[in-house]
Amino acid sequence: MTAPLLEVRGVTRRFGGLIAVNDVTFDVHAGEIVGLIGPNGAGKTTLFNLLTGVYPPSSGDIRLEGEASGGLKPHKIARRGMTKTFQNVALFMESSVLDNVVTGGLLNNALPEARDKARQILDRVGLSAIADVRAGDLSFPERARVEVARALCTEPKLLLLDEVMAALTPAEMEEVIDLVRSLRDDGTTFIVVEHHMKAVMKLCERLLVLNFGELIADGTPTEISRNDRVIEAYLGANFAKKQASQPVETA
Amino acid sequence: MTRQRLLPVLLFAGVIILALIPLGLDPRGYEMRILCITLLFASLGQAWNIVGGLANQISLGHAAYFGIGAYTSTILLKLFSLSPWLGGVIGMILAVAFALLLSLPTARLKGHYYALATLAAGEAIRVIANSWADVTGGPVGISVPYLPDGSLWMMQFSTVLPNYYLFLAALVVICLVFWKIKSGALGYRLRAIKENEQAAEVIGVDTYRSKLIAACVSAAITAFLGTLYAQFQFFFDPDTVFGVATISVKMALIAILGGVGRLSGPLVGAAFIIPMEEMANSYFGSSAAGLSQFAYGAILVLVILLNPHGLTALFAQLRDRFTGKGGSHDRSVA
Ligand SMILES: Nc1ncnc2c1ncn2[C@@H]1O[C@H](COP(=O)(O)OP(=O)(O)OP(=O)(O)O)[C@@H](O)[C@H]1O
Ligand SMILES: [Mg+2]
Repeated sequence: MTAPLLEVRGVTRRFGGLIAVNDVTFDVHAGEIVGLIGPNGAGKTTLFNLLTGVYPPSSGDIRLEGEASGGLKPHKIARRGMTKTFQNVALFMESSVLDNVVTGGLLNNALPEARDKARQILDRVGLSAIADVRAGDLSFPERARVEVARALCTEPKLLLLDEVMAALTPAEMEEVIDLVRSLRDDGTTFIVVEHHMKAVMKLCERLLVLNFGELIADGTPTEISRNDRVIEAYLGANFAKKQASQPVETA
Repeated sequence: MTRQRLLPVLLFAGVIILALIPLGLDPRGYEMRILCITLLFASLGQAWNIVGGLANQISLGHAAYFGIGAYTSTILLKLFSLSPWLGGVIGMILAVAFALLLSLPTARLKGHYYALATLAAGEAIRVIANSWADVTGGPVGISVPYLPDGSLWMMQFSTVLPNYYLFLAALVVICLVFWKIKSGALGYRLRAIKENEQAAEVIGVDTYRSKLIAACVSAAITAFLGTLYAQFQFFFDPDTVFGVATISVKMALIAILGGVGRLSGPLVGAAFIIPMEEMANSYFGSSAAGLSQFAYGAILVLVILLNPHGLTALFAQLRDRFTGKGGSHDRSVA
């Protein structure tokens, strides 16, 4: 087997007394679409923040393409090919949709090429019609899409998507699933955080489950759905509540 | 967009008008001096706009760069009869060195903390200039040596008319620099920093580097304007060129008042603030010198209450109201 694209070894992050991510170890190989699930507060977003350099890990190693990336500044990690979307949406709200995406394109391109690239990506993500709208004037699902487009414009090898399907209609979710698949076919690897189980099961070939900061399972969707610790974590937490609050019917 | 085409035409017309104005005025008169100071502060506001406007790094220490420029060229002229053009360039280099030094502790600071840290740094330089009397002349100030046969090379003239055209040329150059930065890759990066610094980093913007480049360009320009000021004023002291109210706050105020981050902002701000201040000073006399500062404060509060995007946005809104173009969310005004 080829060397993993991402290696995470014993990564821990503390916030004061709270251990948000606790001794997490896993690999991601190029071409995978890995789901990262777990109850609210399990540490999913924090793990993304550690991978992309928003926070340094308290301990543990992160390697991207075999080279240590833990504790590097986010722009260095982005340059190495890993970036993320923000769960709570962190667009440049006063700028147009196009300018948001162009800014991502500047990582690897001069301005004119970044503009061309941004237009192509807006096309692909289906945002061309609102290219000139101010990001702050968009609806939440539109903003999430712009997050994806902006991240894509950095030409990532590994893209971390943090709940980009929240608040989408089932039809829109299908579009995102198709988009992620086609991007994967073009060579991008994904880790996807999503609460909507049906979408996760459909999109991902492999799932990681976090609970109270610990990685409690790593396997195929079928394995995960039969895993006792996972069922306990979800039922013991707010699995039922979470499912009930989803706007769309589940399997 | 017609807007985009109109802008260069308007600016070109503005430059022509500004170039013609002095022809109708007494070249030794008071009005000429006010016009020179207005042009100087429009340039200073534009230099500040590169960091304060584009990246929202609210510096209150830019007097440090201005004073470094003024003192460097003047001291070198005094000691070695060095042309202020060369002295000014050395001043720019020293100002950039100071900006780099200052960025070490301040680049990660945000908002008020950055403003306070730069304010403190500016004040520190003023104190040093006051106490280092051997070199600077101390609190009594320093005079630019008078050269009877003035020349462009020595930046000395028998009237202020050539100074006026130097200030005008400087303003044009600085506006071009600002526009180039704003519409280029660095402008995108600085805007990203302004609007969401963490997101900017995560999508690959080296925020530290971008802020540093902006700060150095701004510092260099400000320092050269200090040299132009010294050669225009012929006498200054540390409290003037390193002053918080006289330089640092005024630079910020002019840009903020006019419309922060916009090309036209500092132009409008300076055209408004400087003549008003001069009028107030001549009307009330020097006994009420604090009054203009009070007036700044009052005007700033008013503008922020009425429209936090500054006077240019306010004008645009009024114009839209009169022309019936209800486009209040047109934020792309230069
Ligand atoms: N910057 C921070 N400072 C302090 N505590 C934090 C910080 N970021 C996250 N936490 C805490 O870490 C824990 C994990 O939070 P995190 O946001 O990673 O969870 P999550 O799995 O993404 O949850 P959700 O599904 O609700 O998005 C929570 O208890 C949270 O309060
Ligand atoms: Mg989260």
